[in-house]
Amino acid sequence: MGGPYFAGVDVGSATAKAVLVDAAGKLCVHVVVPSGGNLTLAADKVLAAALAQADAVTGDIAALIATGYGRESVAGRTRSVTEITCHAKGAHALYPDARSVIDIGGQDSKAISLDPTGMIRKFEMNDKCAAGTGRFLEVMARTLEVPLDEVGPRALTADRPAKISSTCTVFAESEVISLLAQGETVERILAGLCLAISQRVNSLATRTGMAPRVIMTGGVAKNTGVVRAIEKAIGFPLTVPEEPQIMGALGAALLARADAAK
Amino acid sequence: MVSGNGTPLEVFTSVCDDFYATARAVAASGRKVAGYFCSYAPQELLHAAGYFPVRALGRPGGTPRADQLLQAYACSLARSSFDAALSGEFDFMDLVVFSHTCDTMQNLADLWRSSRPNQRVIIVSAPSVTAGAAAHAYYRKVLGDVREQIEALSGPISDDAIRASIELYARHRDLIQRLYTLRREHSERLSGQDLLAVVTSSVMMPKEDHLALLEPFVVELEAAADPAPKRLPRVFVAGSVCQNMGFITALEEAGCMVVDDDLCMGSRSFSLPDAPAGDPVDALVEMYLGRRPCPAFHTAGFDPGAFLVERARAARAAGVVFLLTKFCDPWFFDYPHVNKTLEAAGIPGLLVEVEQNLPVPEQFRTRAEAFVEMLKAKAD
Repeated sequence: MGGPYFAGVDVGSATAKAVLVDAAGKLCVHVVVPSGGNLTLAADKVLAAALAQADAVTGDIAALIATGYGRESVAGRTRSVTEITCHAKGAHALYPDARSVIDIGGQDSKAISLDPTGMIRKFEMNDKCAAGTGRFLEVMARTLEVPLDEVGPRALTADRPAKISSTCTVFAESEVISLLAQGETVERILAGLCLAISQRVNSLATRTGMAPRVIMTGGVAKNTGVVRAIEKAIGFPLTVPEEPQIMGALGAALLARADAAK
Repeated sequence: MVSGNGTPLEVFTSVCDDFYATARAVAASGRKVAGYFCSYAPQELLHAAGYFPVRALGRPGGTPRADQLLQAYACSLARSSFDAALSGEFDFMDLVVFSHTCDTMQNLADLWRSSRPNQRVIIVSAPSVTAGAAAHAYYRKVLGDVREQIEALSGPISDDAIRASIELYARHRDLIQRLYTLRREHSERLSGQDLLAVVTSSVMMPKEDHLALLEPFVVELEAAADPAPKRLPRVFVAGSVCQNMGFITALEEAGCMVVDDDLCMGSRSFSLPDAPAGDPVDALVEMYLGRRPCPAFHTAGFDPGAFLVERARAARAAGVVFLLTKFCDPWFFDYPHVNKTLEAAGIPGLLVEVEQNLPVPEQFRTRAEAFVEMLKAKAD
């Protein structure tokens, strides 16, 4: 396959994502791999996998924008752009009527408000700890011995959510253990965890001012329990892209293409 | 006594690297030192009595001693300063002056008295409503009482000495204001972080010494040629004390220019009007009640939102970053109104809660970069 390609590499705390778009801005390939402990290595690995999938070589990349919390670890980047700008760009490219983006990744969550042209009006980000993010769900799923991809579907079967008062991963874990000891069902606890996350996201969303259409991006968007809970909390339906995890990398690739056109 | 060698800016920066080194040296030389917490402390009175007024701003590092005695919602300025006091690091201060700006500071004064019995504590309670004859009469009495309390420690303070101190502080204030004008109008000549180093060092050095360095520094900058314009987004910073210059550095590293501020350790403390003629204590009343009121005080007719919009526009700022010290209630009460006014004026804002004496968190850099990207996209 021929280049040139424009690459976006999004190195997050949990996974690294790479997207290649062609000169027309068409999404050609996308890859997601676990980040592991070495972010530079993860970036190399995910980009190599994307190139292999496209049957291309490094020389076929005309420009590369790195994003995510490991953005400064990406070798060969033309420049770095924050994940806030990239998620907004990716979501708006797929859904031109998008006015809001909710992104919940491995260790942070964001609410972004867009104007009709896709420019960021305002954004909010969670505080420094990973409360109410993907990591929080992973720890809780492990405590409850529920595979991560079953968390959402099982939460949706609960008749009511258990009361979880904290999204602090450490406090919530002990709360979950107490609830289990009191005989609360796993489903209700899962529903309670989804509700806790939605309440936290809702406070970010309220501060930025949500308007439809709202796009949800990031790995946690794959969790239907959380998606439904957020929809209830913010009062708008969420649009979840087919591959919500790659929105940041897609936005980065599209920005790389836009840079080259300048 | 001028601390350190090098250019004025190098001295200012090195003073900020170790806040109290100069004050300790001054104390060791035999001059009495008065620590103060708030820019409403009448430094001129302390200076006239022979004290070197140095601002208490906490210091980097943990606060294990203070954590045992303070509630979780005490701000990092109170917590860190109290920890420094409990560990004996503030023993060079003969006197500590508190202002009644918030409950934390009011209660800290009492805690300080009981835990540092060898240090004298004076509380200056400026009226929370600063306009009107009653407020002026009340504050005249407060400052008269403060003068007597200081005199009881140091002997009589003459009116002439107070006038001389007012004059010295006014000369210094004028230079700082000229520097702010330079920063707004010739933003490439001096970075935002350098300006903050000048301001911060000014509360850590004897006024005479700072003035001696500041005067040639300002004159030289005013005469300098403008470097090539950087064409970076212009940002205005508003907030509480902000003694952690790392936040301003990180903001500028994110690709913007901090061109003006409304910070307590910034332009706000230098917003006092000129002293009227006559009784020097009356003059102090007029000056301190006539300044840009801090969010802990209220002046009828003063709208902090409209004020900030006007300041941001005058600085041609594309956005405003709020650096609010966590648990700074006075600021957080003002913030919703201020931000709403700013939004209505079409000026984007970014709110960041900061802990003053901890390293700048990585997350702050991401937010700052995203804000700068947003401002750039808007400008394109």
